[in-house]
Formats: sequence, structure tokens, C-alpha cells
Amino acid sequence: MTTLAFLGSGSRKRPVTRTAIRAGEPAETIAVTSSAFLMLALVSLWFVLQALALGGLSEHRSQALLYSSFRQELAAATAPTGGVITPGTPVALVSIPALGVEQVVVEGTASGDLLAGPGHLRSTPLPGQAGISVVFGRASTYGAPFSEITSLRVGDEVVAQNGQGSVTYHVADIRRAGDPFPAAPTGTQGRLTLVTAEGSGAFSALRPSAAVYVDATADKALPAPGGLPAGVPASEQVMASDTGALPMLVLCLALLVALTLGVSAARQRWSTALVWVIAAPVAIALSWSTSDVVMRLLPNLM
Amino acid sequence: MNRRMMVGATVLVAALGAVLVPAASQAQPASTSGVAWSQTHDLTRDYTVGGVAKTDERHVTVTASKRTDLQARERINVSWSGAHPSGARAANPYGENGMNQEYPVVIMECRGLDDASLPADQQLSPNTCWTSTWGQRTTKGPTSTAAWLHDKYATDADTQQVSGVSTLPAECGTLPATFSEHITPFDAVGAKTFSGCNADTMPPEAAIGSTDPPNELEAFTGTDGKGSAQFEVRSDTENASLGCSHTVACSLVVVPIMGLSCKDTNVFCNQTGAFAPGSSNFELNGVNAAVSPQYWWSASNWRGRFSIPLTFGLPPSTCQLLGTGVPTPFYGSELLSQAALQWSPAYCLRKDRFNWQDNTMPDDAAFALMQSGQSAAAEVSGRRSADGPDPVGYAPTAVTGFGIAYEIDKPDNAGEVTTLRLNARLLAKLLTESYPASTMGLAHPGLSKNPISLNLDPEFRKLNPGLDTSHFSEAASTLLTLSTASDVIKTITDYIAHDPEAMAFIDGKADPWGMRINPSYKGIKLPVSTWPLLDTWIPSTPGQICLKNNPAPYLPKVAAPVSSLRLIATATLLSWPNVQTVCDTDPTTGLYKLGRIAPQGVGSRFMLGVVTLADAQRYGLRVASLQAAPGKYVAPDNAGLSGALAVAKHGDPFDPYTISQASIRKSSKAYPGTMVVYTAAKTHGLNAADAKKVAQFISVSSTEGQQAGRGNGQLPAGYLPIKDSGVTKPLFATAAKVGNAIRTQSGKPAATTPPKTPTVPANDSALPTGVDAAPTTSTPATGAPVKTPVVVATATQPVARTMPITSDLGGVLLPMLLFVGLAGGVVAGFGRIALRARGRR
Repeated sequence: MTTLAFLGSGSRKRPVTRTAIRAGEPAETIAVTSSAFLMLALVSLWFVLQALALGGLSEHRSQALLYSSFRQELAAATAPTGGVITPGTPVALVSIPALGVEQVVVEGTASGDLLAGPGHLRSTPLPGQAGISVVFGRASTYGAPFSEITSLRVGDEVVAQNGQGSVTYHVADIRRAGDPFPAAPTGTQGRLTLVTAEGSGAFSALRPSAAVYVDATADKALPAPGGLPAGVPASEQVMASDTGALPMLVLCLALLVALTLGVSAARQRWSTALVWVIAAPVAIALSWSTSDVVMRLLPNLM
Repeated sequence: MNRRMMVGATVLVAALGAVLVPAASQAQPASTSGVAWSQTHDLTRDYTVGGVAKTDERHVTVTASKRTDLQARERINVSWSGAHPSGARAANPYGENGMNQEYPVVIMECRGLDDASLPADQQLSPNTCWTSTWGQRTTKGPTSTAAWLHDKYATDADTQQVSGVSTLPAECGTLPATFSEHITPFDAVGAKTFSGCNADTMPPEAAIGSTDPPNELEAFTGTDGKGSAQFEVRSDTENASLGCSHTVACSLVVVPIMGLSCKDTNVFCNQTGAFAPGSSNFELNGVNAAVSPQYWWSASNWRGRFSIPLTFGLPPSTCQLLGTGVPTPFYGSELLSQAALQWSPAYCLRKDRFNWQDNTMPDDAAFALMQSGQSAAAEVSGRRSADGPDPVGYAPTAVTGFGIAYEIDKPDNAGEVTTLRLNARLLAKLLTESYPASTMGLAHPGLSKNPISLNLDPEFRKLNPGLDTSHFSEAASTLLTLSTASDVIKTITDYIAHDPEAMAFIDGKADPWGMRINPSYKGIKLPVSTWPLLDTWIPSTPGQICLKNNPAPYLPKVAAPVSSLRLIATATLLSWPNVQTVCDTDPTTGLYKLGRIAPQGVGSRFMLGVVTLADAQRYGLRVASLQAAPGKYVAPDNAGLSGALAVAKHGDPFDPYTISQASIRKSSKAYPGTMVVYTAAKTHGLNAADAKKVAQFISVSSTEGQQAGRGNGQLPAGYLPIKDSGVTKPLFATAAKVGNAIRTQSGKPAATTPPKTPTVPANDSALPTGVDAAPTTSTPATGAPVKTPVVVATATQPVARTMPITSDLGGVLLPMLLFVGLAGGVVAGFGRIALRARGRR
């Protein structure tokens, strides 16, 4: 978590009108400690800011793009209806009128896929199709599209629109650990299971720790074509994280280190203000994408 | 097809056949009492010894244990007395292996009936009798030694150079002028004839290496003139060329070989036995042909035949083909399957009854299916905790149980073992894979001092003296059992759990002879409903490339449990253990695989398997007596089942009876394997149509269905009839009461339990554990008329519940970061203030 180290170091080294601190003085210890804690605070708060606020911006932006793209696909009847679909592709539009939620569902449930919105579990039929469809959504971070679904009541509508048509589900139950599964759907029946996480106790909205399932059923769902993948990798399971992001994290951190060194070198030649005008956008962009990568390493339902 | 007329006709035919037996034999009418069949013939042989004409007379009685409503592979016990003692006994009496014997009794299945008044194509003749090799049908040799040409009773046609056929078919090759040949062609069903003069001219079922071993046999008569054999009948499913079915009549033909009667003093025809009566001929040395089964078709032997008319029951597919209405499936215990075979046509062929269909499924899964409303009723053999608000009633439907079937030969070819005694500790030793099975298994940690297989165990030898104690085999070191969940496994393990000696063994104490449990199973908690395979020891096999390249835990491959009790019955019937330890290399791909060992040879058979008592009765399997009270061994007959019912306890009137193993251990008459199958259905919350069907089933199955018999709707052997009298009287009353409660749906739902609708997930690891499986096309409730036990039998978990999936990281990360961030900010702020205070800034 040394992402923003250079910001702190910049502020510490602001010169010249003050009395210089010499090495070995008690003041140096205080200054170093104070700077280190400032760094820690900046890094932590930046990540919290990114997860709760900036990530939400990012998710809304993705949703807007996905919506227009899916809208075009629906109009052109090219929206995917089954089989193996590339992760990240929009596959359905799920709206929950009782909560005012309308989200484009993307294919795939890895932590990275869910940054753009709710994700469809690839080994299940698409939302709207007969059988058990499963959709994951984040509970607290990156727009928190499913943060409110545990407040749904039995009978509330959930509408799924996919490339074949629109199906209205009705919430049947909210399942937590230990609750029995509902009866398996038969024939043309469909079930849409929305999966998210919830916390308990103080700050519960910030502490999504346990998976929770909302089952909604429809008597008449659309036919489901075959060809589903038989299973999904571990990174797409409930509460899984995607360790495949580690190489990318290394790259991002290396770029940050390079930026730090670059800023230090540049300040020998140019004024501080000039250097920061140029470096700040780069630093923010790098921090942003580093945080995205870190999010992929965290549980997908957070 | 009017069955009553058909049965009447076959009885008539039997009587006629008895009258029409050739004049030399004086016939007595067939016994028609019960299901058994018996007849007596006077057989004679005229021959000359040293110029003196002699007549050998025998008063032979043949008895068959059953002959009507047969099912495929059912075994008939045939016994006889008064026959000529046999000599030159072969180790294996089946098919061509038994040909080198003297004076045996040939038993075979033939199409047609022995009735001269029938059309020719419905009559029995040597040409419709099944043999599995051409050598049993064709005899060829120099005319000078051809004994059959001197048969006193042969027609002129049969004494020609080529006989049996008018001219030698081209496919049979040519015959030298000095040779004679007799051919008995095989007339397959549908007017096709196979010449039967070489391997290429036999029906396809007689191909070398065909799936089924020969069923015709040349059985041995003891020196007292008595003998017996188990004959396995084959239907058109197993043998399409023979084609016996409920529409094509067949007979069991028993030909006691008397030898050829001779019209002259030809030395080959007038031979008597070269071997002494009772002697053995394991080397298959040549015997005197005139008294061998070689000439079973000759007029001399054929005229002394006993023709037992057989009728086949409706095949298992009857209801799929002829049933009316959509089937209503009940799911549950395999213990009911033999009864279901006879019961279901009594439902599906009647307009006034629903189309009942019985499917095998683990008891727990079947019960869960019933509770979730996906099936109308479940067939289970014990109480289950209700997982819903609706009360469940249990109506006793069948009293039966499991048995330990065995197929064991006595040493020195002295025949099969007919009584076997087992106790709980022996069962525990077998189930826990505590016998090393082979010298390779002796390297297993903890097993090196154990007897290699059951027959070498001093405890077993003490209980069952006189068995082979010098050889060991993998098959003799295991008990073939179920891989799936079942109340049968629960009862077996409960039986073991109530035996202090067996449990001491399981807890690691050596038995009095020093045998110890396989460490993998030490301390296993019993009872269980699925027997686990816990041993993971892989033998080190340095010299054996195939095993080395294909490492697998050894003892689980010896145990190799199967998915249904029916498969165990078939394996025991064919004495083909399911031991999967043969390592083969495919030469083309270079791949290695482990496969099943070969069927055991007659004379050295030793295998044990868990079967249902009804399967044992159907297939003529022998079943071991189990220890009840210490030292008291109880056989699984009706007395043993009644004895167990006598100690049964009953609480709530809608609950099942409890046959506790603790009370069986105090009884000297109770069979420990006794189990009652109940029809369990909701007494509240079942829809009216289903309630009516279940009530109808309970009413019919507890009255008409409890009439012992072999016909449709009757109760086959292996079940104790539930009657309104005697020890089953309370069960009968309970069935009526529960049936009534189900019909009227008069149960009171439990008020406090929240509504739950459990279901059974397929074990699909592709889905995350919190998400249940998507339904496949095998959804059982749609009433497909095909029995699909396999599809649903894989589900073993009774009620699926949402798994807890949590992430501690997710629970603490954001608050922690927030706290660290704020705290860091505060500390940094204080640092700045401190510096400013020192005037540094």
C-alpha cells in the first residue's frame, strides 16, 4: 500500500523558509513518523474513497456504456442467448421496480467482471431462461448494485430482459446459510437467484461478509439453449477472489515507483508547482487503476 | 391373453405329456400341488454284456421347485432320485465342460411343449433344445465305432451315414465315406434353423465368449441315485434365438442318461461305465460314449425325458408397453423390487386402478422427494424426521429384508455349501477390508498378521467347518455391497453396532485369534447409510509395470461396491465377483486399466454379497444364517422374519415399527436382517388425486398383494405375507389405518415449523456450493414411464441447505481502512503540530 508515497514525501520536503531539520535530532523522528502516518492515511482513505465513491462513478459509466451497447444488440437481435459467451459482454437487463434498480448484467462473475455491474454465473441459464439462473452483484463497493436486495419482500417483482424477451419473476424467499433450498423448477419454470453479501452489527453496510441469496421464480420462462460451460473456475464462485490479478498489480506498483523516482528527479530541475501540475493527473490515474486491480484481489461480492 | 386359460392349458399339456411318454416308460401324473412339479418314469436300458442280454431298470422321480410365471434368469431347483449313479464327475457341469461324464442327468431349456396334439412348430424336439456349443449337437466318427447306429429305438433315418438332417448342409463340409455323422440342428424361433455342425453354424448367443455362461448342464447323480441342480432359465431377453417368453411356451427337459439301448451286440453300443460310480474326472479323460451325455438326443435317451412345461411371467417392460394412463411413480427401497415386478401389472393393466410405478432410489432421497411433493409416496424402511409441516403416515407394505448370499464350493468337488453361518464381527471384518486379499495386500500396514481371506479366518472356520482352508482369493476376502445410500446398509451396520465383540474389533481390539481391523476403518462410527471406502493404501509393485503405471488403492478395488442390490444378485448368480484388480494393457494405445476378474470356476467358487431376500428367492441364491442371540443363528426364512416382528415395537400409530437390533440380540428366533418396507405419504397437504392413488395402493397391496404366489398381483417368495392374523396382525391394522388417514388427509399439520420445501440436488460440483443445481431433463416428477433409478440414485444428500459462505476479509476491510486512514491522519496532524511547537516550521 505504498501507492501514494510520493505525495507525502513531496509535502515533507517542501523547503526553504523553515529551519532545516538535521539528522539525529528528535525533530527528525517526529517528522518521519508523522509523514509515515500521513502516507498510511492517504493510501487507506484513497482506497476507501475509490471503493465507495469513485468506483461507483466507474460502475455508472460502465453501465451507461453497457446499456447503450445492449440496447443496440436487442434492437439488432444480436444479443447472446446461450452457449459460451465472452466474459464482460452484456447479457441481460435486470430491473427491480421496488428498489428502483435497473442494471445491465454482464457475463461472468469474477471479481473484475463485477466492477462493471452485476454478473451472470456462466454455468447457469441466462436470466429469463428456464432453469436456475444465478446473478452476482456487489453489496458495498463499486456502485453496490445489490446493496438493497435483502430488503425485498416475497412477491416483489424482478424483471429480466434478455435477447429472447422479458420475464417477470416474483421474489420467493431470501436465503441465508442453513435455509433449505426451494423446490427445483420443472418444465418451463425459471428461478432467478440474486446473490450478494451482507454484514452484521455496526457499520453493517460497510462489512459485507456472508453470502445471501434472493430467489425469485417465474412459472413461464423462456426456453434455454444448451451448450453451457459445465463449470466455472474457482475465481467465479461465491465470495471468490481473482489471484490472476497479481501480475497486473506488480506492473501497476512498478509504474508508481517509476513515477515517484521521476517526480524526485524532475524536482531537481523544475519548480515544485510545475512538476505537480504534470505529475498529479498521472498519479491519480495510476492510483485509480491500481485500486481497480486491488479490487480484483478482494472477494467478488464486496 | 387370458392367463388362466394358458395356465390351465399347460397343466393339461403336462398331464397329456405324461400319458404320451413312450410305452417303455410307465408314467405317473404330474403333481400339481403348489408351485412344485414332480413326475416319475420307469426308465430301461437293454444291452448285452458278455453275450448275456440285460435290462437296466430305474424308477426315476424328478421334482422341480417352480415352473410358472418365471422371470428372466430365475433359477429352478431340480432334484431327482432313482437315477443311475453317475461316474467321472466333472468339476464344471455346465455346457461342454460336463460332456466327459458317465450317466449324468442332462437338463436343458427347450422351446415348445411335449404335446403331440399341438402344431409341429409348438412342439418340443431335440432340435428346439438349447446347447451352447456345437459339440453337444453333432457327433461324427468312423462308422465302425458309431454307437448311435445300433440304437434299438432309432428310426431307420437315424441309422443312416448322415442322420438328423436329410442331406449334409454345404456349410458342414464333407464327410469321408467311412465316417458317420449325426446332427441335431437348432430350430430358432421364427423358423430359422442353424445347422449346429461347427462353431460357425451356431446361433449368435452360442458364440465363443458370449456374455452369458451356458445354462444347460450335465448334472451328477450320487451313488444313492439322488441328485439336484439349480437351473437358470433364460427368457428371450437373454436368448433371443431360443425365444422363451410369456407368449412362447417352453419346457425344461430333464434327460437322465441311461445309455443306449442296443439292437445288436455292437461293443461300442453295449458299453457300460469306464469309471466307478461317484468317481471324479477332473482331467476330463475320455469316457464311454454310450453312457455319456453325448447321445442325449438319441431315441434311447430322449424317450426317457421329463418335460416340465414352463410359463414365463409378464416381463418388466409390460407396463411401459401396455399400461393405461400416466404412471404415478413411487420412489424408494430396492427391497420392494421383486414384489413390484409382480404387482405393477395388476395396476397398470386394470382400468379401475392407477398406473403404479416403482422406482429404486436411496431411502433418504425418496423420502425427501415425497416431502417436497415431487412424488406421491416413498417406499422406505424406517422412520425419518419430518422436514416440513405436513405429518407423514407409514403403512407397512412388505416384510422382507436383506441377506448375505453366498456361492461357495466344498473342497474336492463335493458340491456346493448349503448352510453358512455368519456373525456381526465377520461382517465387520469383511466390510472394513481387514482381510489382505492377496500376498500383495499383506504389505498393507496393520494387516500383515491377518488371515488373507475369510475362509482362512479361524473364527469363520470354527463356525463353518469343512470348507476350503488352503487357498485364498480376493473374492473370498470381501463382501460385495452397495455403493449408494440405503436403509439396508444402515441395518447391516446397526447390526454390527449392537454386537459388543464386533465393536471391540472396530475400536482396535484384536479378535481371539489375533486379527486386527484395517487401521483406515478403526473407530468408525456406526450405523451409516452409505458404506465409505476409506482405505487409500496403494501397493508398491516394483516388478509389475501395469500396476506400477496404474496406481490405485488396492483394497477398495477388491471391495468394488456396486449401485444396486440387483447387480449383486446377478454377480452371485453367475459367481462372478466384482473384484476390479485385473490390470490390463491395451497394446494399441499403451494405456493401462484395472478391470474385473474372471467368473469363478465351478468347484472353487467363493463369493459373498448383500442381496434382498426376494432376489435370493427369485434367483435361487443361498443366504447365510446370521447370529441373533449369542450362539443362536437364524435363517432368513418366514420363521426368522416372524421372529423379528415379534420383538418389534410400535409407538405412534402412524409411525413405523422399530425392530431394534438390541432386542434381536436377546432373541433366538429373530432374523437380524429383517426389514419392513413402508409406504410413506403425507396425511395432510397431499392433493386429492394423489391421496386417492396412495390409499388405493395401500389398500390393494396390503390385501390382494399379500397373497403368496407367483402370479400377477401376488406376493413373491422372500416376503412374509402381512395377514390379519398372527404376528403380522398389528401391521395389517396399521396399514388400514394409515391408508384411511391418507385418503381423507386427516392429519394435523405441525403449527410451529415454518414452511420449507427441501429438495434433492444432484451432486454437481460445477456449481458454487451455495447455488443448487439446475434441473436436468431427469426431473422425476414428470412421470416418464421408464424406470430411471440410476439417474436419481446418485443423489444421496437428503435435504439440501444453503451453505454458509463468508469472507472475513470482506467483513473487516473497509471499516479497518477507514479507521487506519483516520487514525493515521490524526497522528500525522499531531506530528505537524508538535514540530510547529518546536518552532521548526
